[in-house]
Amino acid sequence: MEPKSRKVMVVDDNQIDLYIAEMVMKTTKFADEVICMGSARQALDYLKPLHDRPEELPYLIFLDINMPEMTGFDFLNEYKNLPENIRKKCIIMMLTTSLDENDRKLAEENVFVQRFLNKPLDKDKIAQLK
Amino acid sequence: MTLQTTYQDMHDAYLLQVKHKSDKLMNYFLFSFFTAGLGLAVFYDTWLVAIGIGGLSLVAYYATKWLLPDSDAYQYIVSLVFGIFMAQYIYQMHGLFEMHFIAFIGSAILITYQNWKLQIPLAALVIVHHATFGYLQYLGYDKVYFTQLDYMTLQTFIIHGFLATIVFFICGLWAWQMKKQTEVQIEQTYEMGRFQEEQAQRNALLQSNEELRKSNKELDRFVYSVSHDLRAPLSSMLGVVGLCEMGEMDPFIEKNVSLLKSSIKKLDGFIIDILDYSRNSRLEVDTQEVHFADLLTDVCNNLKFMCTEDQRKVEVRTKIENGIAFHSDRSRLSIILNNLISNSIRYQNPQEADPFVEVSVAITASSADIRITDNGIGIESKNHEKVFSMFYRVSTQSVGSGLGLYIVKETVEKLNGVIKLESEPGKGTVFNIHLPNLAS
Repeated sequence: MEPKSRKVMVVDDNQIDLYIAEMVMKTTKFADEVICMGSARQALDYLKPLHDRPEELPYLIFLDINMPEMTGFDFLNEYKNLPENIRKKCIIMMLTTSLDENDRKLAEENVFVQRFLNKPLDKDKIAQLK
Repeated sequence: MTLQTTYQDMHDAYLLQVKHKSDKLMNYFLFSFFTAGLGLAVFYDTWLVAIGIGGLSLVAYYATKWLLPDSDAYQYIVSLVFGIFMAQYIYQMHGLFEMHFIAFIGSAILITYQNWKLQIPLAALVIVHHATFGYLQYLGYDKVYFTQLDYMTLQTFIIHGFLATIVFFICGLWAWQMKKQTEVQIEQTYEMGRFQEEQAQRNALLQSNEELRKSNKELDRFVYSVSHDLRAPLSSMLGVVGLCEMGEMDPFIEKNVSLLKSSIKKLDGFIIDILDYSRNSRLEVDTQEVHFADLLTDVCNNLKFMCTEDQRKVEVRTKIENGIAFHSDRSRLSIILNNLISNSIRYQNPQEADPFVEVSVAITASSADIRITDNGIGIESKNHEKVFSMFYRVSTQSVGSGLGLYIVKETVEKLNGVIKLESEPGKGTVFNIHLPNLAS
């Protein structure tokens, strides 16, 4: 996975977790730019207008599951209705504290989800993604 | 749960009702018989007989009933009393033939008790009365007043007796039949009642089952969100600790951060243990095909980040004899293997040059034997039983919650399996797990 623009989006309602993800990815040089989104709705609003500027899309999206108002799975439900060029460009990884088998199963069954990661994100886990 | 009423209770209650109703009727009949006697006294001036015999009969009846209220003796007395009234009337009317019919009236009245045996005293009295009085009249005794005929021929007497026998027999038969019918009816009513009761109980059971399912589901959701809400801040803390570790640190701070980290991990492990325990005890076994190779890969991936700095990597070897599909509950198996392998890593022997844990799986059509062998520090034999107890920790150096092996045992039992332990301090530990193949 060596993309040209290493832009990564993190969707999480927890500000500390956003900060951790951003710091880990920047320190390990995993990403040049980390877009932190505090809610699933905000993330969708960010992605939608980019269908005519696909070069600005993040190539990876780290998605939390347990979020108020709109969960990670709600996000995936709306994500599948986005234009194809957006969907093709982005790879989604679930990043959650959940150890629930159902959450894992649901995530693995979803075609857009590449992996299911448990928090916290650290340099070892990032090293595995490279 | 037992049914509210038994068949016997219901049977007795119904017969008691028949008895009370019949007893009440008897009062009217006896009063009428007595009054009729007084009426007949007018013809031949038999007042003494009417009041004396009739009165004594009533006294006999009510005395018996009063003295022996729980026995049905008074019913046999009333049967006799009807016979006596017949004799009394025949005498009062100086042998008027129609007075013999009184016996038949008595016989018919007795049917109400639904007891064929009540016919016997009446019939016996009639026989004795006819024989005695018929014979006395035949001998020519005066004032017997048995019949208006000069004397009764044997042929008439036999026909008379024969017809009377038939009447008594038929009335007895009706009484018997009514009783049978009543019993059938009671049985049907009872069965119906029991059916309704069972139906009600079944409905109640279904309802409580449904409520239980609902509350279980709610509890599951509760456990889910509590565990999430408790673990989310812990994982943030671990994340921040991870950030600290990425930079250069003063050795003093570095040590403190590592202490912080192990505490956080311990607390997180504890929450995970409680979550596993709660899920195992509540959720139903979800049978599916289990691929041990995949399962072990997942478990090892989860444990990859477990080793702390002072622990060496432990080599996890797996040997799976495949070929036959194994069916069981994947998430429970994952809990079992996760706990046992992480124990092997946690309690590795520092003296051992090559720490390892070996998982071997042999599957047959009926079962799977899982053997987990390590060369860790081992467990003293006096502790072999205790390690499976809740919150039991072998030493103060134990880092776990004291729930791990307890959960393993509970989970194995939930899958109808057996777990056995062999261990020697300094040599290592072997866990043998026998699990049924839940294919069918």
